[in-house]
Amino acid sequence: MSTHSLSTLHVVSRVAASLLGGYVFVWGFVTLGIALLMSAGMPYDEATTTLYLLAFILFLVMFCWAFAAASLVRVWAVLGGGGLLMTGLAWLLIPRLL
Amino acid sequence: MLQSFRHSMTWVHTWFGLALGFVLMVCFFFGSLSVYDREIDRWAIPASRFEPQPMPSFDRMLEPAFRRIQLTKEAREEAQTRNEEPLPDTLPLHEWGAYTTHRDPVLSMWSGFELTRPKDPDNDHVYGVMTLDPRTGQELSEDKLKIGSQFFYPMHYELHIHWLGLGYWIVGLAALIMLVALVSGVVMHRKVFREFFTFRPKKQTQRSALDLHNLTGVVALPFHFMFALSGLIVFAGIYFPVGETMMKPLAKAHQKLEASRTGLPEEAAGIPAPLASVDAMVAEAQRRWAARGMAGEVGFLGIHHVGDANATVSVYRAGTDRVTLTGEGIHFKGPTGEVIREDDPKTAAAGINDFVTGLHLQHFRHWLLRVLYFVGGISGCVCIATGFIFFVGKRKRQHAATGSQGARIVDALAVTTVTGMLIATATMLVGNRLLPEDLPLRGVWEERIFWSAWGLAMAHAFWRTAAVAQARIAPAWREQCWAVAGLAGLAAVLNWVTTGDHLFKTIADGYWPVAGVDLVLLASAALAIVAARKLRLREQAGAPAAKEDAPAPLETAHA
Repeated sequence: MSTHSLSTLHVVSRVAASLLGGYVFVWGFVTLGIALLMSAGMPYDEATTTLYLLAFILFLVMFCWAFAAASLVRVWAVLGGGGLLMTGLAWLLIPRLL
Repeated sequence: MLQSFRHSMTWVHTWFGLALGFVLMVCFFFGSLSVYDREIDRWAIPASRFEPQPMPSFDRMLEPAFRRIQLTKEAREEAQTRNEEPLPDTLPLHEWGAYTTHRDPVLSMWSGFELTRPKDPDNDHVYGVMTLDPRTGQELSEDKLKIGSQFFYPMHYELHIHWLGLGYWIVGLAALIMLVALVSGVVMHRKVFREFFTFRPKKQTQRSALDLHNLTGVVALPFHFMFALSGLIVFAGIYFPVGETMMKPLAKAHQKLEASRTGLPEEAAGIPAPLASVDAMVAEAQRRWAARGMAGEVGFLGIHHVGDANATVSVYRAGTDRVTLTGEGIHFKGPTGEVIREDDPKTAAAGINDFVTGLHLQHFRHWLLRVLYFVGGISGCVCIATGFIFFVGKRKRQHAATGSQGARIVDALAVTTVTGMLIATATMLVGNRLLPEDLPLRGVWEERIFWSAWGLAMAHAFWRTAAVAQARIAPAWREQCWAVAGLAGLAAVLNWVTTGDHLFKTIADGYWPVAGVDLVLLASAALAIVAARKLRLREQAGAPAAKEDAPAPLETAHA
């Protein structure tokens, strides 16, 4: 279990990516998922419940992947970047659903 | 991150498990006690030691009781901070609620009042509560803390840390890490199936601790996984509050649409109107449930827009006969008593969500499943505690050689969260029996006793773990086991002395809520004595090479 080859900064960044990046990614997935299901005609409460049921399993998977992936840059790009991208898309969809 | 997936997962398991394990210990222990929260309430409030009662008559008993509910001074002061102008002496009524379960002799009631000029229109209510004896219609003092349902139960999901709702977030993070620890734990052991059948109690401590860690982790893996996951799903709206933030316009629009679709008015009409007989509405609801072949006890009675022409009465079924959250709510017009509607059949998503939530909250009537829930939760505690012991056992010799305090600090925190938590719990029960019955704010004192005892146990743990820094076994474990034994035994004795309800009586009467708490207290005391004696032997054996104490502190986790 040697982490000697890793700098403290790398470990801190990895942990931050797993938790903060993971949270942003799941937030984006939940909001975009609700918006897409509503676009497909599902009522708000059912869409929300569906995404809440999936949210924590997804968080678990992304969290583990954040430590399994070799490239830390890719982890931040996928979790942080992907999360922001999905949140942005959801943001654009919301006014169309009202 | 590391050279292989398995190495990365081992790193995650060790360090996240260590950091959040202390929180998980609290969640699993008080979650296990919450399985018997109502029974602990009976033990703690002797005046409520009688059989569970059905929902009493609204017209004769509940309505006058609801009208007596006042705001506490604290609730009024808190509400004042949310209102633009000084609050009048009597606030306009908004809603009434009464809740009971098949395990509750007393009824929980609340009355919601409206703020006159709220600063935030979405946060414009304030609540007063009452606990009613349904046999007499008299209220019980709110100064008497329901230790099970008001203290141990919230402890397991929010740690009584109210600032910014931080407690929920810490527990949520711990629950996520529990899921991660289960997945990473399976990944790091390639021979999961064989380890499942491996337990070597006579081997070196570190070996037997690890065996027990694997055994309790794997044997109850589906249980642990489902509980951590369902706990997160129950509070998903707190962890991902999309409806209050980004998607608020959608949530609001949906609420409006639902109000018009269901015919249950969102707002009061502003025209005063009396209530029709609620007892008649309850009878009609029970007739409709019976027609569907369902058990017909009322679990929750809610009245909205009390005293207004738009008043509605909602009657929900108590969920005793299935795992999923039930309700099958039937809604009536308050002033006329005519049925507005029955709840829709559940959609697929809501059905799964209610099942997962119901699985966690266990409203069903099934004593054996309840025992298994308790055992499953305690096995989680054993799993976490053995994890700590393995962590310390593996590192203490190396740390002793290099002069590091790491293993000692972890051992001290482990003592604090394993035996220290038991000491705090037992001391609170002792305090509950010794404080004067009519002491003002009695419950607040009980909570102070709990936290003080835990603080003292922590100080003792840090003081008496110095031996770990020399790679020896810390006397703190043994000493705290004796404290647990003494306090748990004392609590059971004090219950006898102060109430006369000793075990021969409660068992003979078949009054299991109190008999059960006493039996678990005595069993915990006995286990703690066994543990303390074994620890003694191993300390005397004194070989710094082997810390032969593992099963001992674990057994105490059964309390």
